[in-house]
Amino acid sequence: MIARVLSARSRFDPMVLGSALSLSLLGILFVASATAGGRLAGLAARQGIWVVAGIGLMFAAVLFDYRVLLKISFPIYCASLVPLLYLLFFGERIANVKSWIRFGGFQFQPAELAKISTALLLAYLFENEDDGRLRPAAFVKLGAIVGIPFLLVFLQPDLGLALTFLPLLGVGLYFGAMPWKWWLVMFLIVVLFCGGAWFLLKDYQKQRIGTFLNPEQDLLGSGYQVRQSKIAVGSGGFFGKGFRSGTQSQLRFLPVQHTDFILAVIAEEWGFLGVILVLGLFAALLLRALTLAQAARDRGGVFLILALAGMIFFSVLVNASMMIGLLPTTGIPLPLVSYGGSSVATTFLAIGLILGVEYRRFANA
Amino acid sequence: MLRVRENRRELSRRVEIARIAVGTVFALLAIAYWFIQIVRGEYYFALSENNRIRSVKITAPRGYIFDRGGVALVENEPAYNLQLYRREAKNLSGSEEFAVGVLRLPPEQVHARVERALRYPEFVAVPIAENLGLEEVATIEARAPEHPEFAVAVSQRRLYAHGVVAAHALGYLAEATADQIKASPDGYAMGDWIGQKGIEATYEPLLAGVNGERRVVVDSHGREIAEQNQIPARPGQNLFVTIDLGLQRIAEEYFRERVGSAVVLDPKTGEILALVSSPSYDPNWFTRRVTGPEWSGLLSDPHHPLQNRAIQNAFSPGSTFKVFLAYGALALGLVDPEARTFCPGHATFYGRTFRCHKKEGHGWVNLRDAIKVSCDVYFYNLGHRLGIDRIAEIARGFGFGEQTGVDLQFEKSGLVPSEDWALTKRHARWYPSETISVAIGQGPVLVTPLQLARALSALAEGGRLPTPHLFFASQDSRTGARLRYTVETKPGIPLAAEKAAIVKNGMWAVLNEPGGTAYLSRVAGLDAAGKTGTAQVVGHESGVSARGQYEDHAWFIGFAPVEDPQMVVVVFVENGGHGSAVAAPLAKRLFEYRFGKKTEPPPPSAPGLVRASNPARKALAPAPDRLPRAEAQ
Repeated sequence: MIARVLSARSRFDPMVLGSALSLSLLGILFVASATAGGRLAGLAARQGIWVVAGIGLMFAAVLFDYRVLLKISFPIYCASLVPLLYLLFFGERIANVKSWIRFGGFQFQPAELAKISTALLLAYLFENEDDGRLRPAAFVKLGAIVGIPFLLVFLQPDLGLALTFLPLLGVGLYFGAMPWKWWLVMFLIVVLFCGGAWFLLKDYQKQRIGTFLNPEQDLLGSGYQVRQSKIAVGSGGFFGKGFRSGTQSQLRFLPVQHTDFILAVIAEEWGFLGVILVLGLFAALLLRALTLAQAARDRGGVFLILALAGMIFFSVLVNASMMIGLLPTTGIPLPLVSYGGSSVATTFLAIGLILGVEYRRFANA
Repeated sequence: MLRVRENRRELSRRVEIARIAVGTVFALLAIAYWFIQIVRGEYYFALSENNRIRSVKITAPRGYIFDRGGVALVENEPAYNLQLYRREAKNLSGSEEFAVGVLRLPPEQVHARVERALRYPEFVAVPIAENLGLEEVATIEARAPEHPEFAVAVSQRRLYAHGVVAAHALGYLAEATADQIKASPDGYAMGDWIGQKGIEATYEPLLAGVNGERRVVVDSHGREIAEQNQIPARPGQNLFVTIDLGLQRIAEEYFRERVGSAVVLDPKTGEILALVSSPSYDPNWFTRRVTGPEWSGLLSDPHHPLQNRAIQNAFSPGSTFKVFLAYGALALGLVDPEARTFCPGHATFYGRTFRCHKKEGHGWVNLRDAIKVSCDVYFYNLGHRLGIDRIAEIARGFGFGEQTGVDLQFEKSGLVPSEDWALTKRHARWYPSETISVAIGQGPVLVTPLQLARALSALAEGGRLPTPHLFFASQDSRTGARLRYTVETKPGIPLAAEKAAIVKNGMWAVLNEPGGTAYLSRVAGLDAAGKTGTAQVVGHESGVSARGQYEDHAWFIGFAPVEDPQMVVVVFVENGGHGSAVAAPLAKRLFEYRFGKKTEPPPPSAPGLVRASNPARKALAPAPDRLPRAEAQ
């Protein structure tokens, strides 16, 4: 089997693989810059370990036949919800949120893994849903598949993490060809619900919901965070201030700069060129993934790629937007680049699954 | 099978749309970053520099103040102040509790200061308390991890080395008021100390120096990482004032239990050798921040300790006014000094009887004797002959009714009544009988002690009015460059020396001849001249008992030596009674100190001697004492 893998090296898509590896290397580099000289020094090495582990997971995923995974996706899905339930009742709070499981010296966010299993179950659902348009039964199933983990994470309460499940819903509804009238109805329902709720709630209740949804927002004031991030990005100019020479990052004006705000560090130190490099790598990875989706040999593979790529795309879009104040800060990391083992490892896992679909395009087994 | 392929085509179409959408989103993101990094890049770069570089003020050490002999009157000493950085505060009420509980500061003060802090941006350090003890400093440093919002700043505190001594001349430092901050072009900031009153206020620009600036690189916690550059502060100039601490102390001592004022002038230069206003206050109160009780004590004191009586209060000059009238009448040629007037103890003008202070009368008196015994009847007649407008002309010639131009704030100009004044200010014609009162320094005429001292300087020194001043010299502590005061005089009423000598001789007799009103305060071996005065607070006819607050004000004015005056003294004791008994003794002590005489005055050497008119003596007289000014060079 190993011989087969090695001989089939050319069947690893070089663009997806190359972009992912480049991004993770950039990540290690700038985690090092962002944590240099402080009490966080040494995190870059940990990030390196996670990247290596992630790459291992990625190859494992390629080797494992995704069609088998799809067939057992329901038990996997159920199994991945167990730790989420556990956390909800017994989890210890870290930064006011019960979303981490500790083992050894590491912490892990089971929600990250749940995203993968949800994507698998979604792909399995749509493998057999090819009516040309979304049936109501499929609509309900899709809602349940995405809604359950979303709710469990939302109650942790980690809004940012919960939101990353939403692109799965979008992928299912759009590529599952939901009729446009339904979109309209959904849109109206959401608008009415939100508007009505906002109208009926009292001020302190709104505030409570705000703190519940985003407990970190008032630690330093999210306005302050966004402002410092914009200053960091803007002051980088075209060429940047030079690696490890960003004043905003090196003097710690940036909030959580090695995790959520890593892109601001890159923008400050490598300037617009650095931003273009990162965005370009993600664009290459995602556009190539869409090509691979089109070429996938079965409907399950198509949806698996679309779901995983959709989640990555969503995270990149939200993260890059909140850096410059286009979206509120929600605590969504930049995939592969931000410091964080669970995120890096599961993103590599996702990349591995995408590569695996391509790898098995002509396989008969 | 066919259907499957159809659906793949539809799916493929949707992926194509997604591809365009993804591409567009990335392009839009790139444009957004372009806008922030390239279009607005310079703006954000400036902000990041602003974040990183903080300007820290270096307060220039304020200049010291010395007396004319180089004795330090005002110095600086280090002080530890508590500052609040609101940006670091997690909750302000917790910070308040800490300050009140641990440092045992008065809760109202802390609360008021914290409230005030809310008016300023978060990153501005706001003073909460001053002059912490070392123990308090240690506590704050130890609790710094829990309360990073508090910091101890070391500053210089003004120290008035002699407490109440010369308080009114020196003034005090206090935190700049909102108006002062607004008015100052050099930009005083909140918490800056600024001279209030006295020479601290007048010479603020000289004393304050120029603040420096340190530009430091700080991290997001405001911690200093490195210093970028530094513009050193330019220390304030050291100031030498004209005050002679010895004279000042003697005068202060005399006024410890009295209310009033004393001024000692150098009649040639206008240098103020001593300036007392009593009751006084300790300027150190203000640098320690006045506590509530101290403030209300200062404000509710009926004697208004903060007021400088030497320049801010005007009083009737009483009989001291007579010498100026005599001098003026001689200059105008309206009096024959030898002509005698009979004093029966009273005189009648305009159908009203005016009493002399001596009931049984002085008998026949000429000008000199009228001064010596302070005969009221003589001066009633002289005043009657002059009329109010000529009296006013003479008074103005001696600088009454106008500010002396002393280098102190809030000076009053007093009042010289005239017919015009009566019409414009009182809207009534001048009563001629009032002229009779004005002739002996009663009635509406009002003078400040400093005005009187300047007028007497003119009388003693040939008619020119020197501008009184406290500024002696200043010295740049780095370069050693000195500034000196240029003596300034105004023309007054010129009078031939031999005619002036008649007035001076009368004043000499006041002190040195038996029967002179201040004979008991004569100084042996010193030819001092003077004049007592007793200003009625209420008229003798009013029937009010002249006691307590209605007790007469006591004046004494004098100078010495007669033929070459080096020192003019004005003593004013509020509600003190008779000038001869209450005011003159201080002049005696001051003369004794200045001219090194013994305390026990033997009888006068040669009664009737007119030294000023002796040309031989005058030629032998030593050069005017300009030593202090020579020192200043």
